[in-house]
Amino acid sequence: MTNVETGSGYYLGSLAGSSAKQLNKGFLGSIVALASLLPMLAYAGIISVETVNMIGRYMALAIVALGLDLIWGYTGILSLCQALFFSIGGYAMGIYLAHQGTLHNGIPEALYVVYPYKVGETRGMEVLPWFWAIFKSFNLTLILGILLPGLLAGFIGFLGFKSRVKGVYFSILTQALTVAAMMFFSKNEMKLCGTNGLTHFKTIAGFDLSDPNVKIALYVVTLICLIVAYLLCLAITRSRFGRVLLAVRDSETALRFAGYEPFAFKTAIFAFAGMLAGLAGLLYTPQANIITPSYMEARWSILMVIWVAVGGRGTLCGAVVGALLINLLYSVLTSQWSIGSFDWKPEYWPIVLGLLFIVVVLALPNGVIGVWRKMVGKVTELD
Amino acid sequence: MNWVNYLKLLLLAGAVSVQADPAMEQLKKLGSSDKDVRAATLQEIANSGDQRMIPVLSDYRLGSLFLYEDNVVLGLDIYTNDDLDEFVPIAELFSREPLLKPDGSAYLIPIEEIECIEPSRKERKSVLEAITLLELSAPDNEQRLEAVRKTGLGEFSPILISKLRNLSESDPKRGIRRAADESSALLQLRSGDPSEQAVAIEMLGKLRSVRSRSFLENLDNADAPAVQKALKRITAKERQISTFNILNSGISTGSVLVLMALGLAVTFGMMGIINMAHGEMMMIGAYTTYCMQQLFRHTPDDPHNMFFIIALPMAFLVSALFGGLIEWTVVRRLYKRPLESLLATYGVGLILIQTTRLIFGDNRSCNTPTWLQGGVEIAEGMSLSFNRIFIFILCAVCVGGVVALMRYTTLGLKMRAVIQNRDMAASMGINTRMTDSFTFMLGSGLAGVAGYALTTIGGITPDMGQNYIVDSFLVVVTGGVGNLAGVVCSGMGLGLLNKFLEGTLFGAVWAKIIVLMVVIAFIQYKPSGLFAAKGRLADD
Repeated sequence: MTNVETGSGYYLGSLAGSSAKQLNKGFLGSIVALASLLPMLAYAGIISVETVNMIGRYMALAIVALGLDLIWGYTGILSLCQALFFSIGGYAMGIYLAHQGTLHNGIPEALYVVYPYKVGETRGMEVLPWFWAIFKSFNLTLILGILLPGLLAGFIGFLGFKSRVKGVYFSILTQALTVAAMMFFSKNEMKLCGTNGLTHFKTIAGFDLSDPNVKIALYVVTLICLIVAYLLCLAITRSRFGRVLLAVRDSETALRFAGYEPFAFKTAIFAFAGMLAGLAGLLYTPQANIITPSYMEARWSILMVIWVAVGGRGTLCGAVVGALLINLLYSVLTSQWSIGSFDWKPEYWPIVLGLLFIVVVLALPNGVIGVWRKMVGKVTELD
Repeated sequence: MNWVNYLKLLLLAGAVSVQADPAMEQLKKLGSSDKDVRAATLQEIANSGDQRMIPVLSDYRLGSLFLYEDNVVLGLDIYTNDDLDEFVPIAELFSREPLLKPDGSAYLIPIEEIECIEPSRKERKSVLEAITLLELSAPDNEQRLEAVRKTGLGEFSPILISKLRNLSESDPKRGIRRAADESSALLQLRSGDPSEQAVAIEMLGKLRSVRSRSFLENLDNADAPAVQKALKRITAKERQISTFNILNSGISTGSVLVLMALGLAVTFGMMGIINMAHGEMMMIGAYTTYCMQQLFRHTPDDPHNMFFIIALPMAFLVSALFGGLIEWTVVRRLYKRPLESLLATYGVGLILIQTTRLIFGDNRSCNTPTWLQGGVEIAEGMSLSFNRIFIFILCAVCVGGVVALMRYTTLGLKMRAVIQNRDMAASMGINTRMTDSFTFMLGSGLAGVAGYALTTIGGITPDMGQNYIVDSFLVVVTGGVGNLAGVVCSGMGLGLLNKFLEGTLFGAVWAKIIVLMVVIAFIQYKPSGLFAAKGRLADD
């Protein structure tokens, strides 16, 4: 199982090349510039605030993709439980936001779903569970929303990597774990609002969520978080630590013989990716105004992997580009439109997505970024 | 069906020889004005065991029998003309067919010209008793058993008790003798006589009669040691039944899991390919069965179940062909990249699900062939349904088939060779590409058979495979990759564990969560499964 992942050859080896670096900078610079322009365009009335809000959500998802790229693209671990970490962050924020909404006897309205009587009715049985009380504080929510997924990821990673669960086995295990977690969150007696999840949020830290200014502010916060996350990931991949991660991916056995303990590195990076996913959940929930257990469905976890694959695994900007690209494609292709006599139907989207999975894996192992680099590379050669 | 035909024949015979039928003479006597004659006749009918008389006696009780021209006939709904004169349309007694005049018009008899035969208010109870007695002597075993059970819950009556005792001594069927004992004890329990009650309680305890629990608990002297003793015995019996049911449902869940995982054990376990579209291969098998049903225009109660027999090889073939197509277009290029084959085949799955949805819509249901409907009752409260037995047998046959194929055929030999050492196999002249294709097709075809089997349990949906895919991967991983015996053990084990947790302590969802956690913990402890490969293969 040592060498199977490296068959197609990644660009990372040659990443040190200065042209690639400059290319990255130019590419990212233009994305950041475009992204910072959006709020202004919205204020000028050229695009709607809803569009900005949508892009903001997609940027939050791009943060998950960054973490996933670190563990999959760089370390070679295909995790299918990023959706779980994302949801834990999302639920932390969701519970906080529910506290800010309508309260009945000090209990958020949303929680009444899990009691067998009407909203606001008191029978003395309804209590605020302790894990709801924790998330009353905004600061604590932010900390726990990142820390809890990180701790859980660390725990899963510790158990899994310590006993050397590898490759597809790890994928299947994490997938099973996510399925179990989804059932757990869906149960009414867990007092996490069952399959309905949390929704109808009103305010965040005192600001009205339906206010366009607040929406744009959330967008800006997400953009900043994405940039910071990107820079952090970049720092990690450029460090000695990052080099070890590559070694884990390319030949774990050789690394072990060289005196390293791969499991510590794997656990650490897995926990970090979990924290990024938690952060993404925190940012996503107030913008989407909903969080439900369905975010833990198997298809979400796999979709997250395909963002990275489409963008180009093993390149950080690839992860970001892939997440944004697929989600934009999703929003276009799940709406109804027609060109001439051809009617597009939202039902076709899964087929397009399925084809995308196949094409990317078979024909574009380095994703969009790979194609881009090849094109640009040829141009420079001609020069 | 035979029984109905037999009855039809009887009815026909009855209709032809109306005059000679002794039943008709008896019924005429029911119209007698003498109370004693009526009572004696009723008893005579009850003892005759003539099953035709059951509906007739019900009609008699409801006052629908009439005497017309020295014949007993059945009166249908009264017809009123414009002058408010009432007429009774009459029908043949046993066939309930309206009687027609030679010119084809119906007989309409003015109500004054026809004499109604009906029991007095006091006699109605004994008519009911006579009906029950007739039912108790039904020649059909199922019907008789049903009647015996029903009688125990009915009203107390010494005649019925003596009839039940009679049955408990002389009935040829053991189950009916036992049910007769139980029913007579249940009736006795309500006789009001303390000594009889004591006997009944003793009897019910001895029989471990689950049905009598609520009657015993509601007795005035429910705290008495005798009652408590009987209840304790019944509780033990109930525990037995629930254990049986857990085993039963666990084994059938396990069979489905094994059937699903068997195909995966071939593709994933032996070839190392993660085929996320495996669940969709199952779905294709199910839809093939559905298509066969449509092709044969099968309706749910149609006894011609040819479609189901043909659907089995078809489900295997169609799924195997789809599998071959996937292998040829996608999987073949990814043999060295298992993680990426996961993604690509997931994409294939998405396309298959959505295409199926666009073609067939969301929910379809397959007919279960008539010979798989219903089940067999082993003992009271313990029954096996035929479709579960069928799935179990199908599962056993498939496992046996795969083992035989791998062990005793040239193809199997080649498969094993390619799995063990691809390069060496190739250098020995084995066409590894063809072998890979066949192996993958075999795995997919087996998934198709699983889908075929699932149509007998529930409806089919385009995304039905998604519900099973994670579970079946877990089964393969737990069983030890590349090991058929391991797959069978872990599939059955997980099925049983799931149902055991579900049946005893937790609900379905908790059981599922716990099983998942157990599997995850187990893999921590034994990363390469129950039956790990040893030696050189182990580190691969």
